[in-house]
Amino acid sequence: MRWRHKDLLDLDNLSAQEIELVLQSALSMKEVLFRPIKKLPTLRGKSIALMFYENSTRTRTSFETAAKILGADVTNFSVAQSSVNKGESLLDTAKTLQAMNIDLVIIRHACSGASEFLAKQLKAGVINGGDGQHAHPTQALLDFFTMKERWGEFKGKKVLIVGDILHSRVAHSNALGLKKLGAEVVLIGPPTLLPPEMSYLGVKTSYDLDSELPGADAVMALRLQLERQQSGLFPSLREYNRLYGLTREKIAKTGKDTIILHPGPLNRGVEISSDLADSVQSVIEEQVTNGVAVRMALIYLLIGGTSNVMA
Amino acid sequence: MLWLKNVHLVDPGQGISDKASLLIKDGKVAKVCRGEKQLTEEEVLATLGVSELKEVSQVDGEGKFLFPGLVDVHVHFREPGQEDKEDINSGSRAAVRGGFTSVLAMANTQPVIDTRALVEFVRLQGERAGLARVYPVGAVTKGFQGRELTEMVDLQKGGAVAFSDDGLGIQSAETMRLALEYAKLTGCPLISHCEDNSLAGQGVMRKGEASARLGLKGIPASAESVMVARDALLAGETGGKVHIAHVSTKESVWIIRTAKKLGINISAEVNPHHLLLTDEDVQLTDTSYKVNPPLPNREDQEALLEGLLDGTLDMLATDHAPHTWEEKMRPFAEAPFGINGLEAALAALWQELVLKGKMKPEKLIELWSLNPAKRFALQGGSLKAGSPADMVLFDPKWREKITAESLESKAQNTPFLEKELQGFPIMVWVEGKLVMENRKIVGKK
Ligand SMILES: [Zn+2]
Repeated sequence: MRWRHKDLLDLDNLSAQEIELVLQSALSMKEVLFRPIKKLPTLRGKSIALMFYENSTRTRTSFETAAKILGADVTNFSVAQSSVNKGESLLDTAKTLQAMNIDLVIIRHACSGASEFLAKQLKAGVINGGDGQHAHPTQALLDFFTMKERWGEFKGKKVLIVGDILHSRVAHSNALGLKKLGAEVVLIGPPTLLPPEMSYLGVKTSYDLDSELPGADAVMALRLQLERQQSGLFPSLREYNRLYGLTREKIAKTGKDTIILHPGPLNRGVEISSDLADSVQSVIEEQVTNGVAVRMALIYLLIGGTSNVMA
Repeated sequence: MLWLKNVHLVDPGQGISDKASLLIKDGKVAKVCRGEKQLTEEEVLATLGVSELKEVSQVDGEGKFLFPGLVDVHVHFREPGQEDKEDINSGSRAAVRGGFTSVLAMANTQPVIDTRALVEFVRLQGERAGLARVYPVGAVTKGFQGRELTEMVDLQKGGAVAFSDDGLGIQSAETMRLALEYAKLTGCPLISHCEDNSLAGQGVMRKGEASARLGLKGIPASAESVMVARDALLAGETGGKVHIAHVSTKESVWIIRTAKKLGINISAEVNPHHLLLTDEDVQLTDTSYKVNPPLPNREDQEALLEGLLDGTLDMLATDHAPHTWEEKMRPFAEAPFGINGLEAALAALWQELVLKGKMKPEKLIELWSLNPAKRFALQGGSLKAGSPADMVLFDPKWREKITAESLESKAQNTPFLEKELQGFPIMVWVEGKLVMENRKIVGKK
């Protein structure tokens, strides 16, 4: 099967087979990561622009590392922080990128739809590195890769996603993709962070973590933005932690060899306890490694053309 | 002088929906002759007081409707201050091209229309444009601050026909209560833009499955409805006169229905886009669907139509809100709210409601001409003998694609852009003067 998309904006329009293709390609990429010399000539002469309108050293570094291993030239555009009125409009930025003949743009932006906006303006490919509350497809794909490495397949697996579902593009993309891959997904959080319209995802939702734990094969904790307390979305870290914080005791209730995921960065002692985050069940560090492999695969699929990846 | 023959006159103010001929003299309707019977030349000459027929222009309206000019109680003409979006001249051109002979220009300009001098400026600019009748709406509070009331009596003397801080909801219930009391001095309605800021938050579209799917912050329906309830109660308690702008939720419809049953002096308008589009139509990269109040869900839409048909809701209004292309060419959350309405609204409703049998032409004209003229005590609304000859000759078969080039408005932020619609005005008169013919403005640029 061949890749036929110019951009990667969302998991909406990817089929299960296309997701599997990404995961398969990532497997060969991961092998490269463990070579003594981590450099391929595959994308020599290709230019990639990183545009991070939201701070995220982790994700930006992951993309940058992936692009460099593949031999591409990477330009970090320093973009003014969330400047709606000062600074250049996204439209003008798109025109600049077009004029510079960039091959691939990776964008993270606080506005939902910003990556789609760029993709419509540009001949170049666009990868969505996270847009508003909308989608974070590369994070979801690296999560799938991590699960698949452990399980081999998704059918019959139960995945709990716990926390601030409302604001989490990670949760949205994960739920969409896992459903396509055949896993059972349960979204869990307090009603203020898990409003009824999340029904659009077509997966089970619950306010009660404890009752969903039995049988869970994976539990993913979402990062809690602490300032949401000031907006009245939860009363205190104490109560949040008691109800939705992941601990070894709670995870023991799954009755399985459950894996623990977290997109990072962690609020230790809030959504996840330190001892659980550092336990053998935790795959949080693997997620970081796999992130590079999956992003290499995506960059390659989008602009690698017919060049031989392993050359 | 004008002799209009063979039209189908739709004039709910006279209870007429019938074949008719009309004679127009000195800017007024001189005679309405109803039914198949034709006026004789002698009758025409006698009524118009002329000796020869060549002094009379004649228009044969066979197959066309004649409506009293439409009255739109909610437009944003952006002048003074934001003339890159629209000005009173371009807005007036858009109005008459869309079939509107009277409009109420909202006060949320820069500066806001909160003094008599500014009210008179808007009125004069409307007169200079010389097309539609442009009635200024004065601000309720100075500088739209939501605190001190404007000099409403003076504003009215300058030409204001209503008061509104439209664009913003008046957050303080006490300010609204006092405004309803004080506006009694003028007899003018207070137009309320109902939006509770604490509920609307940073939302950009209606809260629901569609907003969740698009990852856009949602505005709950209650952001509007709670303020509609508040204002209905305040109007009841004070005996003031309130008009609810752009009703978009079913709960608002229930509240207004109950309020009317209780005898509260309340009226309400609905915008065409709320009747024709829903939150499911919103696309992340088409900000012409971004409007405030946001596009409703299907159930709201049904309640809005039902409310219009049973008389709970009194009128249609475009909430014409032009914005520049650059402003709208932004990510959804960063683009301004607003739909450019005047030039596509009538055709869009004709096609989707009248042609589909959901609303009769008579009702459409009652809602868009008679009722608004009555509520805001304006000229027009009917073509009885003696009334001003504000008229629209409407071709129900005319098909036209809405394009950026064809729009008289400076802006093009309409979801109907590049869509073909059916049913357009082909001639428009204001006070007997022809201002639009064959879809083109007559006279100066
Ligand atoms: Zn408004």
